[in-house]
Amino acid sequence: MEDGYAVRRVDRLGVVLAGAGFAAAATMPFIVAKANRIAAGKPLLLTSLLAQPIALALVGLLLGTAISTIFLRRPFVRLAIATLCLIALLMTIGIVSTSATPPGSASARITPGGTFWVLLAVIGLIIADALVKLQLTPWMRVASLLIYAALLAAFLVTGSLDSLSIMKEFAIRADQFWREAGAHLFLAFGSVVVAIVMALPLGILCFWVPKLRAAVLQVLSLVQTIPSLALFGLLMLPLAYLSAHVPLAAELGIHGIGAAPALIALILYSLLPIVANTVVGLEGVDPAVRDAAAGMGLTRRQILFGIDLPLAFPVILTGIRIVLVQAIGLVTVAALIGGGGFGLFIFQGLGQTAMDLVLLGAVPTVFLAFSSAVILDAVIDTIRGRRA
Amino acid sequence: MLKTITIAASLAAFIATGASAADVVVSSKIDTEGTLLGNIILLSLNAAGIKAQDRIALGTTPVLRKAITAGEIDIYAEYTGNAGFFFNKADDAAWKNNEAGYALAKKLDYDANKIVWLTPSPANNTWAIAVRNDVAGPAKLKTMSDFGKWISDGGKVKLAASSEFVNSAAALPAFQTTYNFKITPDQTIVLAGGDTAATIKAAADQTNGVNTAMVYGTDGAIEAAELTVMDDDKGVQPVYAPTPIIREAVLKANPKIEEVLAPIFKSLTADELRKLNGRIQVDGEPAKSVAESYLKDNGFLK
Repeated sequence: MEDGYAVRRVDRLGVVLAGAGFAAAATMPFIVAKANRIAAGKPLLLTSLLAQPIALALVGLLLGTAISTIFLRRPFVRLAIATLCLIALLMTIGIVSTSATPPGSASARITPGGTFWVLLAVIGLIIADALVKLQLTPWMRVASLLIYAALLAAFLVTGSLDSLSIMKEFAIRADQFWREAGAHLFLAFGSVVVAIVMALPLGILCFWVPKLRAAVLQVLSLVQTIPSLALFGLLMLPLAYLSAHVPLAAELGIHGIGAAPALIALILYSLLPIVANTVVGLEGVDPAVRDAAAGMGLTRRQILFGIDLPLAFPVILTGIRIVLVQAIGLVTVAALIGGGGFGLFIFQGLGQTAMDLVLLGAVPTVFLAFSSAVILDAVIDTIRGRRA
Repeated sequence: MLKTITIAASLAAFIATGASAADVVVSSKIDTEGTLLGNIILLSLNAAGIKAQDRIALGTTPVLRKAITAGEIDIYAEYTGNAGFFFNKADDAAWKNNEAGYALAKKLDYDANKIVWLTPSPANNTWAIAVRNDVAGPAKLKTMSDFGKWISDGGKVKLAASSEFVNSAAALPAFQTTYNFKITPDQTIVLAGGDTAATIKAAADQTNGVNTAMVYGTDGAIEAAELTVMDDDKGVQPVYAPTPIIREAVLKANPKIEEVLAPIFKSLTADELRKLNGRIQVDGEPAKSVAESYLKDNGFLK
């Protein structure tokens, strides 16, 4: 049988995803109701919640999503049903949590269970798969990211998820959340911007001077192997010395603790991918193009800015994308040296066995990293597309 | 929009750290009790009209030590027993005594770093053993001596602890020698990470039959987990009394700090700290509001 002509009746990915969803729903709790943050909690399966109309509606939509992903071929139909299902999932957990909360209890916590997370992942994958099959242009992908982010924001702003444990953790430290968000963004984007400014010239130099290349790349690889916490610790002492003995440094806000060591460590980690990709990108430029330009009388500088860099740009951007996603994740460790950021919630939560507090730090970090990756991918594809 | 403004404002504040050099920089460890004590110090200084800057939840103990010796923070709460490790004198017998340990810590830190140890709290946040209430109650276990006798008489114990607690000579082995009991390896569950949050949870959930847990004396989860802390009646463990420590230069500029904090720390007994830590850890109240309500309820704050 020739695969190209055969009509495949079932979508294999759909079968796997639907199977995972149903296996989770049958065995794992949808929510866990706890008397307080650290109590063991009572697991509630989705099947035990069917008395509530919204849960019943969710089960109906889950079946619909499963059938559409397994049997239907049109991505748009799948996308629409899966999106409806996502909305129902979020509405259900909000409503079910509210009804599971004992009235008047401030310490009760309703945490999402395994079923919720598996269903969220499965529906997310179905939506992502449908979006890929729709062959959206890069900016349409960013637009759909915005639409789904707006959908989530609508749930958060209207307060329909407020009974959920993560939102309770958020509610009691909302001010702090936005302060840490600011610190997190400042550290991640600040370090990447500085790293770009430093790494681009270094990459170009390495390309021009092959002897330098091996040495620089080896040193930077070595830096990459130092565990982040160790690097933060190593930077603390010299910076504290600098701050104590150079008044200007102290005035600029350079201290042994806080933002300065975190920024420097993040910059050091960011150098290797950008330098390496700059070298690779420049090497990828056809020497014939460069020869032709030289033959036309262009100077070395004109060749660099007019030909080399524009042609190498998509590869360099790929390096920047790696670095940005990496930095957003690494910033979490900065909380241990007073740098702030979402890591503060993660480490406080771990210390208190309060997993909801850990999630309050982890979920926004993942969301930030994911959004940055989608947006930068779109930029890279747009540049590649224009050239093609 | 409001959020954008908040982020922008916090960014500005973040960049302009150390805005005013004269402010007292109040800091704390990142853990539950650390943030509680940090907030207590911050709120009471503010109430006394001393301008204080908030660097609470800065990091782990080594970070705090480096920060205060480098003069980047001015005051935070440290434990007397920790001074033994800072000055490589952990073997000194003084640490096992409340007054002697405090005096030694005070002397060592002042001589080396010009850091002043103010009035300590009477609490002791040291390694301890806690037993489930439904076991400790019927067997009438209150002290480590009771506990040792109970095991020697055939009491069925199952202990959850960190490998450090089980193996380091100063911990479980020292308890066993002094109180004359023996816990066999098959009566022990060693948790790799070894934080007390995990051991307490194991005892609360009776994971694998665990009925006894390694704890720190003022852990907030002890009460909610329905455990009883065995009193170390023969003083096997070093005393870890929470004490505000401050740089001498800052204390001289603000001498009031000493008298402001002394009655507050004296009032923070182990029971009190367990309750306050519990409100943060178990009920999820923010450390700041727990600190504020404690200070108000006890007349330290109007």
